[in-house]
Amino acid sequence: MNNNYNYAFLDEGSKREIRRSVLKAVAIPGYQVPFGSRELPIGRGWGTGGLQLTLSLIGPDDILKVIDQGSDESVNAVNIKKFVGLCTDIKTTKNTREATIIQTRHRIPEVPLRSNQILIFQVPIPEPLRVVEPREEITKKMHAEKDYSPIWLQLYESLVKYKKVTIPTEYPCMVEGRYVMNPSPIPKFDNPKLNKADCLYLFGAGREKKIYAIPPYTEVISLAFDDVPFERESFAGKICCLCGSKNTYLDEMFDAQTGEKFYQCSDTSYCQEVRQNVSK
Amino acid sequence: MTLQLTKKHSFDTVFDSQKVFRIILEAVSNPARVLNIAKAANKLFGDFPEILSLAMTLLDNETGFYIYGNYKNVSVESPVDTVLETAVEQLEKDIASLTLARKVEATAADFIFVCDPSSTKEAIEQAKCGTLIDPHKSATIVIQNDEELKCNLTLSGPGIDGVIKVFVSQAVKDALFYRDAQNYEYPEGIDLIFISKTGDLFAIPRLIKVVQ
Repeated sequence: MNNNYNYAFLDEGSKREIRRSVLKAVAIPGYQVPFGSRELPIGRGWGTGGLQLTLSLIGPDDILKVIDQGSDESVNAVNIKKFVGLCTDIKTTKNTREATIIQTRHRIPEVPLRSNQILIFQVPIPEPLRVVEPREEITKKMHAEKDYSPIWLQLYESLVKYKKVTIPTEYPCMVEGRYVMNPSPIPKFDNPKLNKADCLYLFGAGREKKIYAIPPYTEVISLAFDDVPFERESFAGKICCLCGSKNTYLDEMFDAQTGEKFYQCSDTSYCQEVRQNVSK
Repeated sequence: MTLQLTKKHSFDTVFDSQKVFRIILEAVSNPARVLNIAKAANKLFGDFPEILSLAMTLLDNETGFYIYGNYKNVSVESPVDTVLETAVEQLEKDIASLTLARKVEATAADFIFVCDPSSTKEAIEQAKCGTLIDPHKSATIVIQNDEELKCNLTLSGPGIDGVIKVFVSQAVKDALFYRDAQNYEYPEGIDLIFISKTGDLFAIPRLIKVVQ
């Protein structure tokens, strides 16, 4: 461990402020609690919100897993894991079941999370109303008044133009019938995993200085019309070329030489687990 | 103002704070789940080490606090009240000197500590509940309560899978009654944390409802 820095890098005052914000965020599910986002040795927009949450929560008994687009071995995930390890000496893992804290960018693991696990999202744009209203003071007022008509209109316009809702990621959802929330850029495929989950979800946006949360067993409903139900990505007829899974979120690969398209599980840890189980 | 800290403690502001925070986080995420902070609290001194450990974990110079105890009604004939007065006043000084948090009016406090459950009604009535625009600017009330668990409550809300039936003390039931009597318009509201002398702790955030 690098002893030139405080345990978990952040000073205790910063951790306390983030911890207070986390508690308010959990008490008001879906509400974006502002916080004083700190400078970190990675650039804003590269996961500083999630990282600050991880650093404020983590302790010697924790086991950390970091994923980026489902992968344990992408540059962002590896560097964040190394950094947290360097200033805490905690154990890191690729195994979803073993981890107590999972920091993620853009995916929820395929393995259902338990009640003693915390999933921390790195969020680039926490405000679901930003696409319809650029001014922060107005979006805060809209949330206060539960005025979500512009976002419903956006969905409706999409239906009129394209005959379907075309939002692929960051699909807005309603939390406990009160707040419309941006579930970070997870694919629509993962939205149902937010509803009534066993684990705690925390969302950190470092650049936008916001923290929000979904406690366990909270109602999270993706926005949809009565006659046009919410639809997630379909991978019907496609299977992972490595493990043969048919019910996971798949990445499409393309072989430029043969022109062949093939698919692979986005969650690398899950894919590996399936393959190991098959080989046993 | 200069406060002299003469007492020693072994509460680690890095690791014990982290452990206590994770317990509080689990409690707030899973309302009515009883957890224990005695291990960390025992490293502190005074008559309210459990409250002090919570304060050490969450308070600093950016926060304001207020303590409710019996000390405003001190009776010379009542030695019990006099003892309580000393303990509560001491707690106030300890929180201020250990965390640098400011003692403020109850209506402006971010954290309200209730050492005597008979003050719960006043504490809840005075606590700030935030605004519709900024609901996070509301108070967290920590209530010390050691009464017998003889009331049956059914609770529901985020963090609870369906409904949960719990045995609580009369003080807890009263606190929820006083809270509901305020008729807060959600997301305005207050968050309650109950703590006992044995370090048992559970939380009732604002969205948790009592099922009749």
